[in-house]
Amino acid sequence: MDGLSQFLDAILAIGLSADIVTVVWATLLGIVVGMIPGLTATLGVALVTTLTFTMAQNTAILVLICVYIGAIYGGGRTAILLNIPGTPANAASALDGFPLAKQGRAGDAMAVATTGSFLGSMIGMLGLAVLAPWLAEFALDFTSFEFFWLAVFGVVLCGQLTAMDDPLKGWIAGFFGLLVALVGQESLHAYSRYTYGFTDLEAGFGLLPVLVGAFGCAEVFSVMRSEATQLVRAKMGNVIGAALSVFSYTRTWVRSGVIGTFMGVVPGVGEDMGAWVSYAAAKRASKTPEDFGNGSVDGLLAAEAGNNAAVPGALIPVLTLAIPGSAPAAVLLAAMVIHGLRPGPLIMITQPDFFYSVVAMVFWASCAILVLGLALTRPLLWVLKVRREWLIGIIFVLCAVGSFAIAGRLFDVWVMILFGLIGFVMRETGFPVAPMILGVVLGPILDANFRRSLSLSRGDPVDFVTRPVSAVIAAMVLLMIVLALPPVRRGIGRMLGRSHG
Amino acid sequence: MSLHRTDLFAGLVVTSLGLAALAGAVAMPRFAERNGDPLTAPGITPGIVSGVIAVLGLLLLLRAMLGSGPRDLPVESWPPGAARRTLFTLATTLAYGGATFGQMPFLPATALFIFAFTFGAELMRPDRSRTALSLALWAAVLAGVSAFAIEFLFTDLFLVRLPG
Repeated sequence: MDGLSQFLDAILAIGLSADIVTVVWATLLGIVVGMIPGLTATLGVALVTTLTFTMAQNTAILVLICVYIGAIYGGGRTAILLNIPGTPANAASALDGFPLAKQGRAGDAMAVATTGSFLGSMIGMLGLAVLAPWLAEFALDFTSFEFFWLAVFGVVLCGQLTAMDDPLKGWIAGFFGLLVALVGQESLHAYSRYTYGFTDLEAGFGLLPVLVGAFGCAEVFSVMRSEATQLVRAKMGNVIGAALSVFSYTRTWVRSGVIGTFMGVVPGVGEDMGAWVSYAAAKRASKTPEDFGNGSVDGLLAAEAGNNAAVPGALIPVLTLAIPGSAPAAVLLAAMVIHGLRPGPLIMITQPDFFYSVVAMVFWASCAILVLGLALTRPLLWVLKVRREWLIGIIFVLCAVGSFAIAGRLFDVWVMILFGLIGFVMRETGFPVAPMILGVVLGPILDANFRRSLSLSRGDPVDFVTRPVSAVIAAMVLLMIVLALPPVRRGIGRMLGRSHG
Repeated sequence: MSLHRTDLFAGLVVTSLGLAALAGAVAMPRFAERNGDPLTAPGITPGIVSGVIAVLGLLLLLRAMLGSGPRDLPVESWPPGAARRTLFTLATTLAYGGATFGQMPFLPATALFIFAFTFGAELMRPDRSRTALSLALWAAVLAGVSAFAIEFLFTDLFLVRLPG
């Protein structure tokens, strides 16, 4: 009950202050960012982080959470009207959203996506409020052994889930990210690794320039490489009626909300998988699975509820373990640290007010996408009419200025371009970028906890697998690797084939 | 099964990177002369991580030589004009980020980049309806307005010092 009253206090604190104006403009900015093909939620949060340096702590995090939630929601519009996802999280929405738009039901599709996103986000918020305090308390008993295994688990799982048909490349990307994080001065002996005399490398690669490069700059190259897109003529119809029709699909949005929240919790996986797994579950549960891919309201609702539920889900490990649940959450984690906040297992003891403020921020951002999404259905279509040739140059300038602004170093701009090129080449050759970013975030955690554990166990590897939680995580890592082996996958496929006759 | 060229090349790069990083990790000091705990030596984690990268790269290499693994990589199916657009994007962004950003005053460097990028990218569109002169005028207006707006936003509103 104490938590509930703190949550209600936090809701009132935002709702009855000037922060409510911040909620409106920041969410609208996020929606616009998400709607523009080529601008991802990660890039949006990273660029806006540079604009929040001079803001008060809570206002800065409020802006970033609103941009994050707005961008994930806004990408659905592009998926519906252009058949290209505004952000990777909306790829599943295009499968049914675009066919609905082609049938002349674009307004209905946008209304369903809006209500679905709101409901999914609300379920995720409940998950955040309930699961995070429990997880934080559980994580208080974690030692370096458990944190080491969590870092390994995050990289291996993210590598596998973001490259389902080719986990080998996902793992390579994840371990490459870990190696990138190890460049620069390490914390135990102050020894400079892989710097080769370059003083700029002493502090390592900055997380934000790497993120802006791998997602923003790489996106600039990818968008310009692709052909230009055509907008579908959007017929609006009865938007409110379509929005309310979502309540006849209660099972779909509740299931998708729960799935999305749990996919968000998994380190580095986030919104994309939240949408895809929810979509697949809705298709399996549907009485008309043949409609999926041909304009199914059920499918669109599942994808949108799933990806938006993953946002609060991704905040759970950020706040309680300081491990991001998704790429935009990684930027948010970095922003929290920049603003002097210390996410981690102690958060419910040292900063419970901040935790409930974050839950209230999610609440207000979700309300904002519902109101803005329904009220501005027609005006927001103008955003999609902006030509990419007019935007991409400006986006690159923002990437450069954003990278430079953090520390005032030109070196960070070059890092951004370098990782833009690396990210572009990775995408083109089938390597997922998300595990690399997770590796960069988890690298310092893995390094410090691995060496601390080695020292504590006097080099005995048995200690790494005899503590109960460590043993469970280690077994899960091993299981994931074994299940990804081609002969094992083929064997499982044959067994499933036989059991289905 | 035919050789998978893209994965073969990627496998070679990954394996080489892993082996080079492993060699670098092995060469890192152990601080025995300072009575440092060898189990906390700086090269331990990079050694293991780069070792794993080398092994995974080798697996990718072997898989590519056997011709197995998923195909249809984006790099193998570029749409018409993609190479020209990518080269143009690379040239303009590298010129801005690597040569003019920080070396020239921010405003002219940025306006010049946005003008060159917008004008060039529009000229490459096969479905463009405007004349080159009209495009140049539009690009110049966009370049001027956006360069001023970005400078105002960062310098005056967010108090960030810009380079140049």
